[in-house]
Amino acid sequence: MPARARQALGLVLLAAGLANAYAQGDAKRGEYLAQAGGCVGCHTEDRRGAVPFAGGRALATPFGTFYGPNITSHPEAGIGRWTEADFIRAMREGVRPEGANYFPAFPYPSFTKISDADLRDLWAYLRTLPPNGRASRPHDLRFPFGFRLAVAGWKWLFFTPGPFVPAPHASAEVNRGAYLVQALGHCGECHTPRNALGAPRRDRFLAGGKGPEGKRVANLTPTRLKKWSDDELKEFLTTGQKPDDKMAGEAMGEVISNTTSKLTPQDLAAIIAYLRTLPPLPEEPE
Amino acid sequence: MDKKLLSACIAAALCATHAGAALSQAKPETLVKQRQAVMTLQGKYFYGTLKPMAQGKIPYDAAAAARSAGYLDALSKMPWDTFGENTKDVKSSNALPAVWTEPAKFKQAQDRLHTAVAELVAATKGGNEATVKAAIGNLDKACGNCHDTFTKP
Repeated sequence: MPARARQALGLVLLAAGLANAYAQGDAKRGEYLAQAGGCVGCHTEDRRGAVPFAGGRALATPFGTFYGPNITSHPEAGIGRWTEADFIRAMREGVRPEGANYFPAFPYPSFTKISDADLRDLWAYLRTLPPNGRASRPHDLRFPFGFRLAVAGWKWLFFTPGPFVPAPHASAEVNRGAYLVQALGHCGECHTPRNALGAPRRDRFLAGGKGPEGKRVANLTPTRLKKWSDDELKEFLTTGQKPDDKMAGEAMGEVISNTTSKLTPQDLAAIIAYLRTLPPLPEEPE
Repeated sequence: MDKKLLSACIAAALCATHAGAALSQAKPETLVKQRQAVMTLQGKYFYGTLKPMAQGKIPYDAAAAARSAGYLDALSKMPWDTFGENTKDVKSSNALPAVWTEPAKFKQAQDRLHTAVAELVAATKGGNEATVKAAIGNLDKACGNCHDTFTKP
């Protein structure tokens, strides 16, 4: 190949490489990730006919009631003015674009573990949401929990940002399951008991007890799950039906509808495989 | 009074009260079995037919949906007379103490269920597939509402 042609080819490849580094995330992958993350659950009103992602769902906690905001691409009501960097910072560090802290009802302590690539894909998907002008409802918090400044202290005590690091000795499947559970699925946000300041108790990860809205949630460690076969777990996570003619509660039923029933069979198997590797923790007291 | 007649009358009176008592006072374990039987059958029609239709796992069949909705309509009215205080401590029961400590909420949950079932029955009579599927989703939530608060997870 003549020298000039080689140079031209080299430049073209370099440009392609650079373009790739700044490439848009994949919105189709992002759609699946948003399902795995269950975003629609908190960011949509809990009534029929509600516009997905236009905000509204109430989360009643001991600190007061939080309302999921509008995350459609509307420039005022939603996050239409955000950049990809704003989104990544919100998820990874729990701060607004202007810098104020988010209350950890927005589960960034889990979402911080999502990989950069997945965050870019999620952002690409969120950009495709049609703009909706529904105004986000301000949180209704008990005194003194409404001060965002106080969250800085909470974060200092309880929050370490950073993406998921695979366990070196675990299989790819178990690591995938760990990522889905700890990062995207944020299962621990409901299934891990919290201390008096509302921080999850890491030594009781997925031990169940009382969820954020005061209802009983299951222990997801082998203490409980050893009684379930893989098929029974898959059935539950796809339809909500349990053995012994029981069924999912309403809150978990939503997770099943929004998230687990939409996962690929491999991802579902990975979650189950990971859960079975957890240390068996005793049930939380009633 | 003649002694024989008197003892016969007493025996008859005892039989009558005993029979009456047996009718109104099934053993707590039996009552728990009865309500669990209702749950089993509700599960059969909900998870066997209605939910798979809503999820698109089996083809939508308007007649089968209507039949299942009708069964659920009857079943969902049945278990409520088995929740007496005497069933609170039966080991085989999955009911949580909230059933008896929060009777107003329990009643509210029942009402929500009945409303959701009635809506499903009406939808199956109307025959619109999308409406029926939406009603199934709504019923799923209404069932789950009790299971969140009043039964063990």
